[in-house]
Amino acid sequence: MEVLILSFAAICLPLFPLSWFFNRVVASLPAGVAQALALIVLPQAGLDVLVLAPQPMEWPDSWRHYGMLWAIFTALFYSFRALSARDLGVWTRLLVTSGLALTWVGWLEGVRLATLHIFVLSWSLPAALLLLLAGVLIQRIGGAYLGLKGGLALMMPRMTASVTLSVLALAGTPIFPTFFVLLNYFWRLPIGIVPALLLLPFLWAWAVGRLFQNLLFGDYRGDVVADLEGGKAFFVGLALFASLFLSLYGKGVGL
Amino acid sequence: MEVESVAILVPLLPMLSAGLIVASVPKGQQSIARVSVASALITFVLAVVLLLHYLLYGGVRVMTFGGAWGSLWLDPLSLILWAFVAGISLIIHLYSVRYMLEESGYARFFALLDVMTAVILFMVAAADLVTLMVTWFLVGVVLYFLLGHDQRRPAAGRYAFWTWITYRFGDLPLWFAALILIHSYHSTSLPVIFARIQEGPALHLWGMPVVELAGFLLSLAAFARSAQFLLHMWLPYTMDGPTPVSALMHAGIVNAGGFLFNRFAPLFEHTGGVLHWVFAIGLITAVTGSALMLIQNDIKRALGYSTMGQMGFMVMECGLGAFPLAVFHLIAHGFFKASLFLGAGNVIHDARAHDGVPPNPLYTSIVEHRSAKPSRLPLVVAAGLTVLVPVIVLALSHFVVAGHLFQEQGVLILLFFGWVTGAQALFAAHRMPQQNPWRLMMTILASFVVIVIGYTWMSHYFGNFLYPDHNESRRLYQAAGIQRTSFTILMLLLTAVFVGGWILTFLSGAREWGRNLGGRGRGVYLSVYALVSRELYITDVYGHLSQLLLRFSRQLNVWLGWY
Repeated sequence: MEVLILSFAAICLPLFPLSWFFNRVVASLPAGVAQALALIVLPQAGLDVLVLAPQPMEWPDSWRHYGMLWAIFTALFYSFRALSARDLGVWTRLLVTSGLALTWVGWLEGVRLATLHIFVLSWSLPAALLLLLAGVLIQRIGGAYLGLKGGLALMMPRMTASVTLSVLALAGTPIFPTFFVLLNYFWRLPIGIVPALLLLPFLWAWAVGRLFQNLLFGDYRGDVVADLEGGKAFFVGLALFASLFLSLYGKGVGL
Repeated sequence: MEVESVAILVPLLPMLSAGLIVASVPKGQQSIARVSVASALITFVLAVVLLLHYLLYGGVRVMTFGGAWGSLWLDPLSLILWAFVAGISLIIHLYSVRYMLEESGYARFFALLDVMTAVILFMVAAADLVTLMVTWFLVGVVLYFLLGHDQRRPAAGRYAFWTWITYRFGDLPLWFAALILIHSYHSTSLPVIFARIQEGPALHLWGMPVVELAGFLLSLAAFARSAQFLLHMWLPYTMDGPTPVSALMHAGIVNAGGFLFNRFAPLFEHTGGVLHWVFAIGLITAVTGSALMLIQNDIKRALGYSTMGQMGFMVMECGLGAFPLAVFHLIAHGFFKASLFLGAGNVIHDARAHDGVPPNPLYTSIVEHRSAKPSRLPLVVAAGLTVLVPVIVLALSHFVVAGHLFQEQGVLILLFFGWVTGAQALFAAHRMPQQNPWRLMMTILASFVVIVIGYTWMSHYFGNFLYPDHNESRRLYQAAGIQRTSFTILMLLLTAVFVGGWILTFLSGAREWGRNLGGRGRGVYLSVYALVSRELYITDVYGHLSQLLLRFSRQLNVWLGWY
């Protein structure tokens, strides 16, 4: 039973190799709202299930230690894979998997469940917004594969701005919550683990830089398409602003 | 009005201006420019007022706002840098009003410029490690969008990416150093950490002294930000951004390394080994940057490499313990380089009108009836003037201003570099074709004397301002020092190398050696030329490595079906 609980949690809070199923499930849903909802719901459900699992503080130290290393490996592995992704949907899934895998590190270190819920939401929210935007892109230009028809900035400025801000929020950019929750982690964890974890922001930044190359630069070569509606762009802005407020008002989520 | 109330306005005003522009409050290009320039002007005035207030009444303040981060430290370093950054920002704002008028994204440009100004102002006054980390990171983010302003050009995006990735690479050691300091000294506040370092500098982590480890990591962060050798490739290629952004970057942002060393000076007092390493990297960067600058045929890229050389020199100054001199250098270089960048367009315009090709000696002789062979000073006189005069001028001026500094090794090394640079300038003057070489040489010598005395006096005054505690300066010099015998041998060796080099240069000039290189000599010459013209193949190596990693990443995704 315990193995089943942990396996279910490792699918919802993606941990390699079960992270494959998480990605498969999300990708199999219709692009847009369904995928975005899955990114919000699944990780929270995974955390709720973890309450039923044997608590890590009762585990031998070596198990906890190996568990943390495995979670960090998953995070690094998926961020490395995100480097070569050009489809906005795939890129988002890989990057959010990388971020969510770190939940295990916190859980194994004994971080409170309430804090972990905020941690997970910090990653899920911008990723869900990106999947929503990817859905709109698929509707308008037939796919979310960036760079194929040149940069989108001049043709769809509102869409580009929304994607750019969401990507920055997802990839641990200050002053978005992902930065502070990551910092909070660094703070709590043994200093010996930090060098491995520090590779993550670098790989995320590399992945972001490559995505921006295809998103922002170059003339648009496709058919004329409508930009993201003002209302939708406002919704994205509002959601990001709310998360910004959370990270500032919450003094950096636990700092 | 309280000093604190004025101080908080300095970084907040540009942020407010950016907010207004983003919210489309000012309508039309003129209004946008007016709002942005007005905020830059008021910010500058307030920064100067705060600096004057400190000069008149003194008093270092730490402002906290109740949170775990966001505190400001109003000390001499942050106040002088506030005035400098706000001044440069104002100049660039004024320049951009017309320069960017016909570019798309006028409002976005001014909003980003304002955000950048605000972030830098926060960064230089950060009183806690979290604020420093946040702002250090954000400078890279905002710079990326400024450099990639012209979104039609993929090249702008490519080179903005180089900057982005180097900056992110440099963030890692800063984060790690910050976490080590927080874990070891149990505070995020910089003044508190520095006080605890003074109480117990011998703390160890993993068998290594904490201050040495943190100092080493901080120096790496500074190297990435100040384009030191192997982390420099982003700098010369940022010319694809708009000219005002190049000016802002070369005049301000790239100097962040010098700021970081000075901010953490109380830590570096205890890290002699790190300072030696900093000196070595700075020296390599100064030589490489200057050498690469000489072979560029593009004025903006030459300026980029010139900045790299200057940054190398600035870092080298820190490695010698001359921390305040590095700040003086970064300010002087900032204004100098901003004026060069903002004037680059005029130079290019003039070059189109007048090609600047030197006159043909045969034409000069036959048509203009002037001597085809330029007259020069006698060889021995020229050699004596170029080699001896700078050393006398430098030594005298330093002796008059601050004689006690002659005991510091760092000062002697800097004087040595001043000597080499001065002699080189005079030598270049000697080689200029002139009708009246004596007049030229005397004019340049007089300028040299004025510059050296002014520089020495200013840097001495500046040192007193930034580090009023003379013991702190002395501790920094002593940390950077090496054993006396090794130092003497090093100085003698360097003197021999430079004097030997000049003798060779004079002789080769006089006897026209190398005019007809052939055989093996020519092969070596071409190999060196190829190496330098391809910028030491560093970009190619990085390019191949990243392509290798990307191929592997793609292969992994194919194996796992992109799930």
